[in-house]
Formats: sequence, structure tokens, C-alpha cells
Amino acid sequence: MSVIDELAGELSKLPGIGRKTALRLTYHLLKQPRERSIRLARALETLAERVHPCQTCFNPTEDAECAICRDPRRDAAVLCAVEEAADIGAIERAGEFRGRYHVLGGRISPLDGVGPEDLTVSELERRVAGGAVTEVIVATNPSVEGEATALYLQQVLAPHVARVTRIARGLPVGGDLEYADGITIAQALSARREMP
Amino acid sequence: MTLTLLTLAIRDFRNLARVDLAVPAAGLVLVGPNGHGKTNLLEAIHYLHVLRSVRGARDADLVRFGAEAFHVAAQAQGGAVDDVRIGFARAAKRKKVMLDGVEAERLADAFGALPSVMFSPRDVELVAGPPTERRRFVDIALATTSRRYLTALQRYRAALVRRNATLREVLRRGTSDGATRVAVWEPALAEAGATLWCARVRWSRWAAPRLGALCAAIGERERVTLEYHTSLAVDPAGEADETHVREQLAAALERDRGQDLRRSLTHSGPHRDDITLKLGGRALRSFGSAGQQRTSAIALRLLERETLCEQAGRAPLVLLDDPFAELDVDRARQILRMLGDGAPGQTFLVVPRGDDVPDAYTALSRHTIRDGVLDA
Ligand SMILES: [Zn+2]
Repeated sequence: MSVIDELAGELSKLPGIGRKTALRLTYHLLKQPRERSIRLARALETLAERVHPCQTCFNPTEDAECAICRDPRRDAAVLCAVEEAADIGAIERAGEFRGRYHVLGGRISPLDGVGPEDLTVSELERRVAGGAVTEVIVATNPSVEGEATALYLQQVLAPHVARVTRIARGLPVGGDLEYADGITIAQALSARREMP
Repeated sequence: MTLTLLTLAIRDFRNLARVDLAVPAAGLVLVGPNGHGKTNLLEAIHYLHVLRSVRGARDADLVRFGAEAFHVAAQAQGGAVDDVRIGFARAAKRKKVMLDGVEAERLADAFGALPSVMFSPRDVELVAGPPTERRRFVDIALATTSRRYLTALQRYRAALVRRNATLREVLRRGTSDGATRVAVWEPALAEAGATLWCARVRWSRWAAPRLGALCAAIGERERVTLEYHTSLAVDPAGEADETHVREQLAAALERDRGQDLRRSLTHSGPHRDDITLKLGGRALRSFGSAGQQRTSAIALRLLERETLCEQAGRAPLVLLDDPFAELDVDRARQILRMLGDGAPGQTFLVVPRGDDVPDAYTALSRHTIRDGVLDA
């Protein structure tokens, strides 16, 4: 296999990138200045070697704890549980939320063999069991699986925390948090409701 | 308003390698021996309606042997869209739908875009077959005419397969919080299920007197009735209140959870309901003669056509897969008369032999098909 085929093959494994696009990107990289490709390669290397999940919230970081967990101005009593780390960026851009996060690492998805034990649910439970957390806002996606995951969290967390809330369904059903705009997210957060 | 196909293009769909048709406004007749692909043409047109095989085949099995993908495209007038193109590639396992040149973001956007009703000898299964046949019938009629129903149906199915998968997983591994893991799928089932339940009950009430009248008009002497049959503790004859149904459904799911866990199956819900058809008070499914079952099956298709006319406001295409072959002459004549009444709709009739074409359709332009190839 040629180097070109190899790179195109790797690129096509990325989400949303088909074989054609992968080839186009590969030839684009060939045409651009050498230094730029080397910078990209170093960034990828650094990402793979130095970035790992935050020991507290599982948000990717180069340190033991991520910047949000270390920030003393962020309210440690309110946690927002999200499916993926990418969702944090979306909520941060909305600029409303002043608490901290917990990245679940996915959602309950029995058809893919993903159960609660494959997510960071027990870590969240331990975090909350400490007693310092007063509210967990569950911000999983409004898909069937996201809703089921929210209900499961509510069942597991209810004994440890005063309030478990769910962001409002302002998002289109099946719409991903990651792609929602800031205003929608701000509204979904402020209109959150107690889970029964 | 009447929906009319202007052109139809098919590539590598079942045994149809290439079909390019300019379709006359009244429709057409296709003559060809059995097994040469005439039903495949109707299946392709129906695919433009429900985006899947009317015969329940998987998309991958619809691609012609040796081909990579199939395409069905039509230009139409009087529909919600003027141009529909559907492609399915075997390797990508992906369906792509273009509506008026723009790719549909969700398949639901294209569902029911070019509606049609197909009459076929296999329809007798609607009456004589198991409840799944009748559930699928009413689901398609309602989902193609109501976006809300379609959304609820997708949500319900998604939650149901996941609850069942969880039941199996819990049984296999014996996790301590099994009941909780199963329960988290139930609110979605109850909410979407209540929407399905209420819409089906409303439809059944609308349909019952019409079905009776249709069967009588075709020549059935005994009274044909239709009722929604449910395991839920709600009376389908009462007022269908969605909140109440949702609560009942949630309660039934909770009540059955233990049993469901033992048998890895969700026992309660609209996916277990049925539409009961009776003739003179007796179940048509078990007591009807073959002729009576055939008559009521055709009446159900006429009813589907009425549903589409009423809900979508336009007459669907009529696809006739030699449906009168086994009916006596009088009944066949009545049905043809009823199809011609009101807005007739563009008609696609396929028959094995030229002299099988009923008088009413002899004026339609005629094509022949052999080994998947249409005459020019
Ligand atoms: Zn952190």
C-alpha cells in the first residue's frame, strides 16, 4: 500500500469523511507547504501522547485535572452531565453555565452493547456521594437513548443529591447538543425541570 | 387534486436493469408472464411512497444481481413535490433521497411524498394473516399521512427494540439493577405508544362504517365490522384521551416487567394490538371464505386510498397487481366501478395476459415486459 493510500485510509475512518473526501484531503496536504503538514503531524502526536481524560470529569486535558475543574470560580456544587466532551464546548459557548461538568463517554445503547458500566456513571456516583454536590443537570441528547440515559442517572443519583434536573427539550428531537446554537442551549438550561 | 407521474426511471431495481417511461395521465397497462418483473415495476413506484419494499424485502435484496446500487426516480405533478429521486448503494448501506433536487435531511421528510395504494392478490393476508399484517397496514396508512404519527412510530420502535435488547442482556448477565435498566425505556414507550394507540383508535372508528359500506357495495351480504383490539385497560369505544392512555400503558409496562424479564419480550403495548375484522359477528380471519377474505382485503385497500385522499388532500396513484384474478366477475366489476368513481387516480395495472385486461382499462396505453425489459 502506498503512503497516499495509507493516509487516505486513516482519514476515511474519521466521522463524516468518505473515501472521496479522504483522497481529496490527502492531495491537498501534498500540495500545501511542508511545514504545515509537519505542524499538523506534531499536533496529532501531542494529542495522542499528552491528552487524556480529566481525572475528575473526563474532559480531555493535558494535566491531571482540566481547566474547568481547577477553576475556583466554577461552582463545584452544580454538575452538568453530558454525553461527549464536545458537548462541553457547545454549553460553554452559550456562556450561561457556571458549574462544572461530567463527561459520560456516550449513552446507554443496548444495540451497540453499551450499558451503564461502559460509561462513567459509577465515577459520577462517587463524585456526587461526597455530599458537596447539590444539583446534577442531565444534558444528554433528547434522543430515545439520551432520555433513557437521563432516567438511569436520575435513578442512580437521586439517593445522593438534592436535585437531579433535565435540560428542557428545546432542542429538536434527535438534535445533537453539539450542533445547537448558544441561545437554544441557554434556554434549555434555564428551563430545566426536576426529574420525577 | 390528483397525483400524476409524468416520467418514471428505474435502474437496477430487482430484475429491472433500466426502465425509462413517459407515463400518460390516465396511467398504463403492463402485460407480461409471471416472474418477468411486472410486479417489480409496481414495487418500485410504491417505493416512492414508503421508501421500502411493499413486499417486506431488505433494501440490499432489491439491488439487481451484480449491480452496486438501485435508483428510482419520478417526475410528478399534483403531489407535495415534483421530483423524487431515491438511490440505495449496497456497499454504503445508505439510502439517499432527493426531493426537488435537494437531499432530504431525514428520510421522514420524503415519506409519503408520492403516495400510492397497491392492490395485490397477496392482500388476502391482511385479513387471513397474523395481526402484524394489519398493524403494518394501519401504521403505513397513518404514518404516510401524519408526521406526528410517523415520529411517534419511529420513537416507539426505537424504544421497543432497545427495551427488548436490555431484557435479553439482563437475563443473560443477571445484573442487580435489571429492573431499572429495563424501566428507563418505558416513558418513551408510553408516550409514543399513547400517540399510536389514540390515532389507531380514531382511525378504526372512522374506518368501521366505511368498510362495512364498501364490502356491501362489492356484494358482501353479511355485515363486515372492524374494531380496534387492545390488551390495554382502556375502552377503544370511549373517548381516546392520550394522557390517560399513556398512564395506562406505563402502568402495564411496569406491571409486566417481571414477566417480560423472564421471557425477554415486551408483552404490553400497541405492538401487540390488532384490528379485528368480523363478518356477521364471526372472525373473518378464521371463518371467512376465500372469496369473502379477498373482498374485504380489497375493501381495506380502498379504505387506505380514502385515508390518503382525506388526509393528504390528493388521490394517490393506484397500483393494480392483477388483483381480480381470483374474484368472480360481478365482484370484480363492482370494484372496478368503485375505483373509477370520484377521482380515479393514475392507474398502473399489470396482468399476465393481454386478454386479462378489464374493459375499463382497455383504453390505457399498453406495454409488455419480458425478462425485466419493457418494450419501447
Ligand atoms: Zn475536569
